[in-house]
Amino acid sequence: MKRNSARVALLLGLTLAAAEAACSSPPPSENTAGPSARSGTVQVAGSTAMLPLVKEASAAYQAAHADAKISVSGGGSATGIAQVAAKAIDIGDSDITAPNHPELVDHRVAVVGFAVVTSPSAGVKNLTRAQLRDVFAGKVANWKQAGGADQRIVIVNRPRTSGTRAVFQKVVMGGIPLAESGLVEDATGTAVSIVKQTPGAVSYVALSGITGGGLAIVSVDGVAPDETAIATGRYPIWSYEHMFTSGTPRGDAAGFIAFVTKSADLVKKNKFIAISAMKVSETDR
Amino acid sequence: MIALQARRARRTEHVALLGLRIAAGFVILAMVALLVYLAFEGTKTFYVDRFPLWSFLFSPEFAPDANHPGAAVFIAGTLAVTVFAIAVGGPFGVAVGIFLAEIAPYRMTQVLKPAIEVMVGIPSVVYGWLGLTLLVPLIRTHTSSPSGFGLAAAGIVLAIMILPTVITLSEDAFRSLPAALKEGSLALGATRWQTITRVLLPSASSGIAVALILGIARAVGETLAIQMVIGNATQFPKGLFAPTAALTTEIVTDMPGATAGSLLEHALFSMAFLLLLIAMLLIVLVRFALRRRA
Amino acid sequence: MATTAAVRTPRSVAATGSVRKRKMADAVATVILWAMASSIIVMLAAFILYLVYLGGSAISPSFILGVPKETTAGGGIGPEIYNSFYILVLTLLFTTPIAVAAGVFLQEYAKPGLFRNVVQFSAESLATVPSVVMGLFGLLVFVYTFHWGYTALGGALTLTVLNLPALLRVTQEALASVPGALREASMALGGTKWQTITRVVLPSAIGRLTTGIVLIAGRIYGETAAIIFTAGLSVTGNHPYDLNPFHTAETLAVHVWYTHAESLVPDVDRIGNGSALVLLAMVLIFNVSARVVGRALTKRFTGRAS
Repeated sequence: MKRNSARVALLLGLTLAAAEAACSSPPPSENTAGPSARSGTVQVAGSTAMLPLVKEASAAYQAAHADAKISVSGGGSATGIAQVAAKAIDIGDSDITAPNHPELVDHRVAVVGFAVVTSPSAGVKNLTRAQLRDVFAGKVANWKQAGGADQRIVIVNRPRTSGTRAVFQKVVMGGIPLAESGLVEDATGTAVSIVKQTPGAVSYVALSGITGGGLAIVSVDGVAPDETAIATGRYPIWSYEHMFTSGTPRGDAAGFIAFVTKSADLVKKNKFIAISAMKVSETDR
Repeated sequence: MIALQARRARRTEHVALLGLRIAAGFVILAMVALLVYLAFEGTKTFYVDRFPLWSFLFSPEFAPDANHPGAAVFIAGTLAVTVFAIAVGGPFGVAVGIFLAEIAPYRMTQVLKPAIEVMVGIPSVVYGWLGLTLLVPLIRTHTSSPSGFGLAAAGIVLAIMILPTVITLSEDAFRSLPAALKEGSLALGATRWQTITRVLLPSASSGIAVALILGIARAVGETLAIQMVIGNATQFPKGLFAPTAALTTEIVTDMPGATAGSLLEHALFSMAFLLLLIAMLLIVLVRFALRRRA
Repeated sequence: MATTAAVRTPRSVAATGSVRKRKMADAVATVILWAMASSIIVMLAAFILYLVYLGGSAISPSFILGVPKETTAGGGIGPEIYNSFYILVLTLLFTTPIAVAAGVFLQEYAKPGLFRNVVQFSAESLATVPSVVMGLFGLLVFVYTFHWGYTALGGALTLTVLNLPALLRVTQEALASVPGALREASMALGGTKWQTITRVVLPSAIGRLTTGIVLIAGRIYGETAAIIFTAGLSVTGNHPYDLNPFHTAETLAVHVWYTHAESLVPDVDRIGNGSALVLLAMVLIFNVSARVVGRALTKRFTGRAS
């Protein structure tokens, strides 16, 4: 028995040692370069609001640079920041700034507007900011109370790590918390499709994420979210789109960021606003 | 010549046995590594962020931004969907298990068993997709629920998903009973149904307990299928049709966006660790039930 | 326990109402159980038909072989199907030798004792670990500790651990089904234990073993929660069919979830429905081939029909 357990211990020790040896010998280039140099791929992840722009830009960039490899994923703004800070990816896309990570380099590549969208049956065309606060804080439960049809309000929130949610919280809600009774859906696409399907549903989504019909876009304080209104500061819910890098970007990462910033036609086509078109800055809001 | 062969054979034997032992040791290593990693990350909420365990388990306020990650809502949500699933899927599964072991003719088992195996194989996202495109609109149009998302949708999806586990294991429990038990009862003039309810069911009780416990384990751990239909609202299940969230769904909703080292991330790892402990507790219960049978 | 039940029977039977009533109850119960069992088949058939109805129109060569689009309609799922198989092969490559070896050890060599008990308990515990928890474990190990980022290899290794217990169980059951007389005959002919195992026991068990492995392969193919956090949510840029295990590899199952959660293409329903149908078809193919291949191998190696 004793001999047996000694053997067991030895065996476990051996396996552990083997596993550790396997783990602790990193790929040879580990210490000399970031993930891009190792895999030869520029890894981009983060904001789902930015996703269409970044995906399309990556296709265009790779078409122009035959040897470039760019892999783009979503995950949400906080994911992008978290992962680029952990050096798991090369570029982190975000709708929000990264005050907790002063070491990251911020590249503002575009401006995104956010729209309040409802199912058309809710029957509201315009809401004041005070009304918006009441709706999303759960103070009013029926669209009737906000000048719409007699229909129950179904709030569709985004996860607490969402950049879109953070912008909406800051610009519209201020200190008032969003109602927890709302559905929470992972990303822009889901929120849009649920608002389309569900009578009385309301959510806040990036303009870039609104595809097809079946949605009512609500004006805020009488102003509809279009490029001019945002560029001149009359429509309040917008934010910069950031690409964060860990240190000064090099190679294809740097090339890609510059490419996105300069591709005004791609930016516009995906319903973003070019930085150069903005007549106000975030502090003016 | 023969001696050399014998020696070589003996050496092969030794080397082979060592290889086999290492493979078996790997199973232990995997479990230990899992436990250690998750215990380490999963307790940071308590020893790094100094958030009391008591509040984590019982506080309904989940506000990691305000340094207060109470997980009671998600624990209650997991409990609610699991109870729903086992209350619906449990009896149904045991009944079908009885049917397979005692009633079904050969041809029926030849159809039913492959069907159950296919049910096991259907990926959880496909169940979720069915729930999303079939069940949620159904609930939305036929009940007072404005969105269709919520506890009922998640519970129904789960009840279906645990069926194969419960059916297969309770069938095994019935099949492993000695034939004399059934024959004795039938010989005494009991009908088949009486034999099942009065003789077989009590005798198979520990096996059925195992089937139900492993069904519970499946329900507690299921993630994407219910994440797609539960609504993911951070609130206690206020009714069958109100959106809520479970431990697993909360992890998958917020983990992708959690900053490394943040309280949110720690709290989510604590939830994962809690799930791991629940799974291990259920296995201990299974062992206990099996020992009672032996 | 068994005897008390048997002793109790005559009294409780005698105490119940008339013979007619009892027979009636029996008939009703039988009908209800038949209905419940049939409802499972009906439900499964309904699921399959519903998915065929939803996704059938999406299935076309350009959908099965095409690459996904991000913002425009008409995307395909070719790379996702490829990635699913790639990760599946990697996973089986790791998990099969370990599980079979550990299974042989437990079933043929290990004597009851601490080590065997601990292995068995570890395997049972691993088997109940929720796959999302396994996914977080993979995230901690491969993404955080090894700094691999999201990779096919990280996903495959996570799936290896996830499916190890199931495959171990399959091995043990397959070995247990081999009659002891076979082993004794081989040993009596002077074979060593290892020779007996490799030349007699394993060939006899190969049919059942293969059936089990292919069924598990079906589950690996459809796994999602465990690899969202390890293999990633996208295919590699303009090289979607990628052999490098250190690149991100979105599988078909992940694509169904991602399509629902994050996709921005206008034909999201078509993609989701089509992908779900393809996944289901794959599961059916795995199930059928598990039986066919298992039967053929048993016949080939043992001359018996299993």
